[in-house]
Amino acid sequence: MIKFLNPSYVFKLSGKLLNIFKTFLPPLVIVGLIFSLFLSPKDYIQGDSVRIMYVHVPSAWISLISFVAISFFCILNFLFKLKNVTLIYKSLAPIGLTFNIIAIITGSLWGQPTWGTWWAWDARLTSMLVLMFFYIAFIFSYKFITNSDRSIKACTLISVLGLINVIIIKYSVEWWSTLHQPSSISLTNETTVHFSMLIPLGLMVFALFMYVAVIFLMKYRIETIRIKKKSIKKL
Amino acid sequence: MNLEIFVMNGYGIYVWSSFAFTFFICLFLYLKTKKTLRKLEKDFVKEAQNLPEKQFEDVKRQKIAKEILISQSRS
Repeated sequence: MIKFLNPSYVFKLSGKLLNIFKTFLPPLVIVGLIFSLFLSPKDYIQGDSVRIMYVHVPSAWISLISFVAISFFCILNFLFKLKNVTLIYKSLAPIGLTFNIIAIITGSLWGQPTWGTWWAWDARLTSMLVLMFFYIAFIFSYKFITNSDRSIKACTLISVLGLINVIIIKYSVEWWSTLHQPSSISLTNETTVHFSMLIPLGLMVFALFMYVAVIFLMKYRIETIRIKKKSIKKL
Repeated sequence: MNLEIFVMNGYGIYVWSSFAFTFFICLFLYLKTKKTLRKLEKDFVKEAQNLPEKQFEDVKRQKIAKEILISQSRS
């Protein structure tokens, strides 16, 4: 376990994992797309527009999970001042923001044929938009606050406030009467999505999470090299 | 050719736009990240090689620097 705190071990491991993920990603994406666009059935009410779910749902999950992870690492960094952890959240934030934007745009494209509107100031949609601003504020605070201690404090504060928003996103469809439907997939309750749609959804979730891993590892290496470059300049 | 695959009962424009948007954003992020990584690796190697020989040898002994130098020489 301790070796995972060793930057040189993690850097070497990131290179190996990157090669493995890069090999498996293209075939996984192709299979996922074939299932999502051609093999999965239409919904009996929404028709073919339900296929948007295969990119919208994984994107929303990635954006939420990324923010929870960022908050966890920020708190860890605030308490124990671990250098490696800073690299992790700096690498995760742009990915989370990207998938947050994808979730909002694809949600809008799904909303037009389903609800008859591109956008509504509904609790779920609005809280997802608020999450985007939290991501932007978070990225700005580590990019533009040069004092390391202040930057860590600002990042932790934003991530903790954002975490409250993540909880609001999760329960918004239960607490308020919203245009957005309640969760169809749940770990604790019964899943209401048919098996024939769960397969493409599972494939796309797996493919997009592998893509996230590839980008994360590349960004982690970028941040590490930046630190190494600074140390070379000091020589 | 079966156009129904693309038209999707009128929903095609929304479905294909969603997938295309996701695909191009992901592709853009991947290419941009890859380019930045390659550029940083190259700059790092250049800066390391410009160091006096003794300092370069010291840098080469560092595990992360060694890994960057190896991956750069491979590519």
